[in-house]
Order: sequence, then C-alpha cells, then structure tokens
Amino acid sequence: MIHVDRLTKRYGPFTAVDDISFEVRPGQVTGFLGPNGAGKSTAMRIMAGLTPATSGTATVLGRAYGHLPNPGRHVGVLLDASAQHAGRTGREILSLSAIMMGVDRRRVDEMLDLVGLTDKEAARRVRNYSLGMRQRLGIANALLGDPEVLILDEPANGLDPAGIRWMRDLLRGYANQGGTVLLSSHLLNEIERVADEIIVIGHGRIVAQGTKDALLSGAGTYVRSTDDAGLAAALALEDVSVSPAATGGLHVDAEPMTVGQVAAASGVVLVELRSGDSRGLEDMFLELTAATAREEVAA
Amino acid sequence: MSTTVTEPVASPTAESPLRATARIPERIPGERPTAAIPFPRLLLVELRKMVDTRAGRWLLIGIGAVIAIALTIMFFNESGHHRFEEYLTATTMPQAILLPIVGILAVTAEWSQRTGLVTYTLEPRRSRVTWAKFIGAMIAGVAAIGLSLALAAIIHQAAITLRGYGGDWSLDNNTLLGASLFVLLGVAQGVGFGMLLRNTPAAIVLYFVLPTAWAIVGDLVSWLDGAASWLDMNRTMNALFVVESMTGEQWAQLGTSVAVWVALPVTLGIWMLHRAEVK
Repeated sequence: MIHVDRLTKRYGPFTAVDDISFEVRPGQVTGFLGPNGAGKSTAMRIMAGLTPATSGTATVLGRAYGHLPNPGRHVGVLLDASAQHAGRTGREILSLSAIMMGVDRRRVDEMLDLVGLTDKEAARRVRNYSLGMRQRLGIANALLGDPEVLILDEPANGLDPAGIRWMRDLLRGYANQGGTVLLSSHLLNEIERVADEIIVIGHGRIVAQGTKDALLSGAGTYVRSTDDAGLAAALALEDVSVSPAATGGLHVDAEPMTVGQVAAASGVVLVELRSGDSRGLEDMFLELTAATAREEVAA
Repeated sequence: MSTTVTEPVASPTAESPLRATARIPERIPGERPTAAIPFPRLLLVELRKMVDTRAGRWLLIGIGAVIAIALTIMFFNESGHHRFEEYLTATTMPQAILLPIVGILAVTAEWSQRTGLVTYTLEPRRSRVTWAKFIGAMIAGVAAIGLSLALAAIIHQAAITLRGYGGDWSLDNNTLLGASLFVLLGVAQGVGFGMLLRNTPAAIVLYFVLPTAWAIVGDLVSWLDGAASWLDMNRTMNALFVVESMTGEQWAQLGTSVAVWVALPVTLGIWMLHRAEVK
C-alpha cells in the first residue's frame, strides 16, 4: 500500500513534482506513466525516503518510508539498476543486501536463479554487465527480502523482448498473490500491457488516473461515413456531442451501438465505426511527450 | 538500404537467457520483521564493503605493505639497532597518510558509485549507516596498529637474532597511545571530510592539500603561523609522538585543531548527509 498525498518537490524555481495525490493498492499493478523528466523518478525517490519532499506526504504500508523497520523486508525498491559499485560482483551485491536484511544466504542463490543469472555471471563484476543484466540483478535485489510492496523505476529498460514479457509475468503473478506493485515507464504500450491502474504524469502533475479499462474506454466512438456532416447533424438531434476528427471522420461521445443506430435511422452509410479505445490516452500521452521534447530542444 | 541489428549494449559474452515463464519468488517463512536492523549487522556490511572490491582490498594491502616497507628500511638502517618503540613509531606516519583514505572511501563510495541508492533504502536511518562506517574505519585503523605492532615485534626480533642487537622491548603506554591517537584522529578526519564533500577525489585532494596549504600560508603570513599552531593538525598532532611531555597548551592546541578538522566536519557532515538527496 502506497499513499501519496499532495506531494510537491521544488528545486529552486523548478517544480519537479507538483501537488500529486494517488493510492497504490495491493493485488494490483499500478503503472506510473509519463515522458522522461515528468517527475516519475523524483516522486519514487521521495516514496523511498531518498529525496525529501518540499511539501505533502508519501507513506508506504501506512508509514513514512524512513520509519519502516528493516524496510528491505517490506518494500522492494529498484530505482536505478546502474547505481551499483562497478567493482563488486553481482553475487556480492546481493550478499551485502542479504546480510543487511538478515535473510538467509540461500535466498541469494534463489534470486539469482529466478532472474536467470548463472553462477558464472554472478561471479563477474558489475562493470562487465549489460544494462539488461544490471536490471535483472536490480530486480533480484528488490525481491530478495520477500517484500509486500514493489517500487520499480523503469524496470523494463534494457531488457530484451523476452525479458520484458518475463517481467510482465512476474509482476502480474506477484500482484495476483496480493502484492502491491508500482512501476514506472515512459512507454505507453509497456504500461498498457501489465497495469490494472494507470497514473499519467506530465510536468510534475497527474494528468489522468484510473483503472486501465476506464482510461482506455472513456474515449467514446470514432466514426467515418460517406456523409459526416449529415451524420453529425443526426447525432446532434439525439443530444450527443460530436466533434470532427483531425484526420476526417467524427469523434462521438457515445457508445458505438448508439452511433450505429442513429446512422441506420438516418440512412447514412458507415465506412468505419469503432470505440475510441486507447486513442484518447495515447493522444494525451503523445501531446505530453511532444511538449517535453519541444522544451528539450528549446533548452 | 541494408539494416544491421546490433545489441543495444555490448556485453563481453552472451547473456544467459531468462526462462520463458517467470516464477514468483517463494515466501520467506515467518513474519516480516518489526525490529530495526541490529547495528552489528550494519557494521559487518560496512567492514565487508571495505574488502569486497579490488580498490578497497588493494588499499588495505597497500597499507600493510607500507608498514612492512617502513620496518624493512629501519632494519637495514644502522644495522637495525633500534628499540622496539622506534620500530613502532616508524610505522605511524605511513599509516596516518593512507588510513584516512579508508575512511574517506567508506563514505564517498555511496555517492560516487551511487550505491547509496540501495544502502539508504535498506537503512533509511542514515546516521546509523554513518556510524557503522565511522566505527568500521576505526576498526581498520586499530587493525593496522595491531599489524604494525606485530610486524615491529618480528623485525625487532629479527634484528636481535640476525644482527646481534641487544634489543629493547620496552613499550611506553604513552607512546602507544600517542601513535594510536595520531592514526585514529586521521581516520576520523577522513570520514568527516568524506561526509562533508561526498565526492571521492575532492575529499582525498582536500585531505592531502590542507596540511601543505597550512605550511605555505603559515610561512607567508606571520599571524597565520600563530593560528597554525592551534589549527594545523599536522603540527598539533606531532606533539603526540612525545605524548608524555605534552604540555597543557599542546593538548589545548590539539583539542582545538581536532574540534575544527574532525568534530566539525563529522557533525556538519552527518547533518548534511541527512538532508542530501540520494540520486
């Protein structure tokens, strides 16, 4: 369980996290989606007690992270897989964590096996690891203490497609067993495929949040016909709001069936009729990304 | 146009693949702990971190080697006819130069190598980690002193056996105390500088430049020379070599310099380290 309440983080005049509130519930995978620089990592560092908040609170399992006793046994955190001493071996890194948490050293072997790092690879120094291997080691480290809550920042970064699917299965299974999972990504598809709940963040603010189904379905209907103007007029008579789509056709704030019935009644021939699916979310996300990209160019 | 497919990140050898289906990690039997991490475990981890990288291991081996070299030089100097105490004192300076780096690295590696991201999420009470580092570095210092005692004894015995030296095993407690203080205060200063700067090169450079800077500035500006006798740790600590004859003023000078260069950096360092953002 993670509660974030009116969390704000400012760096001088720059507001990295701007008054965000949300809740991450057990038994679900919550996706934290936003373009690079949107404030995801800052928010996650605050949740893990590494960055002090300017105002607002973040609690994990009902307490501020800093007040959790032996937090590694309650919360698994992976914020940056590259943040490891390049001169330590993978096994040594897990062993240090195991000693700190007080878990059996056999658990180190189990976790190495779980993430598919062989004995030989685990004996290698981390400087010789690929990003994907570091990511797997980081996940092993996060799972080492058998936590109830997982906080993972861009865990799929550097994983190959098989690795990304593996990660998805793992997080799904973990949540199904009652675990709480918060993972961030800057890729909509990645989040879409694993998350039950999605929180979209841009410029430090939450721009959308809700269940995946709600976010993906609330987009109404897209319709294209041989006579869009006529169809729009007919729909307007039914008190349904209609707006022309930039690419031609109409966005209609109603179920596809309603649109189809109106079209049939008014004798308009439909060319395309489908629910707005992820269009709204994707449009919004692309807008956010584009705005960020523009700022990066300007800066 | 031809398309080439390259690995996103070059790895020296092929990676082992992940299994096709993910297993969910097994539960650790028993309740999740409600007690904080016991301090000895933190200390154990910090001690282990000093030796589990090549850099750390070689630094410690280097300290041992320097002690051995200093004693060897003594052994060939004046046919090795030196008292045990003299052998011991000869090891103090090399230790005092290198051991503070152990203290510096213990703190700065968390920031320079960014391991703090893991360390401080596993123990968010950062002052506990800091004290574990402080005590860990002190233990390294005590171990080095112990090693120099043992090696000095061996070389002294060798001088007696091989060089026909009469030998003098007397060891004044004050000498041992002075030498130990000399070494351990340096280690503490290293930890303090490390916490203050949280950057390996900066802390090491400052640590080595500071005494030289004092010497230069003290020579140039006469009134600063007066201040240096109270603030230049190199000078105030030199009195420790003849600790039995230290005057009250010398103790006060030592105390002042230690307050400024050890107590203040450690206190300020802990305060800053608590507020610092771990990135």
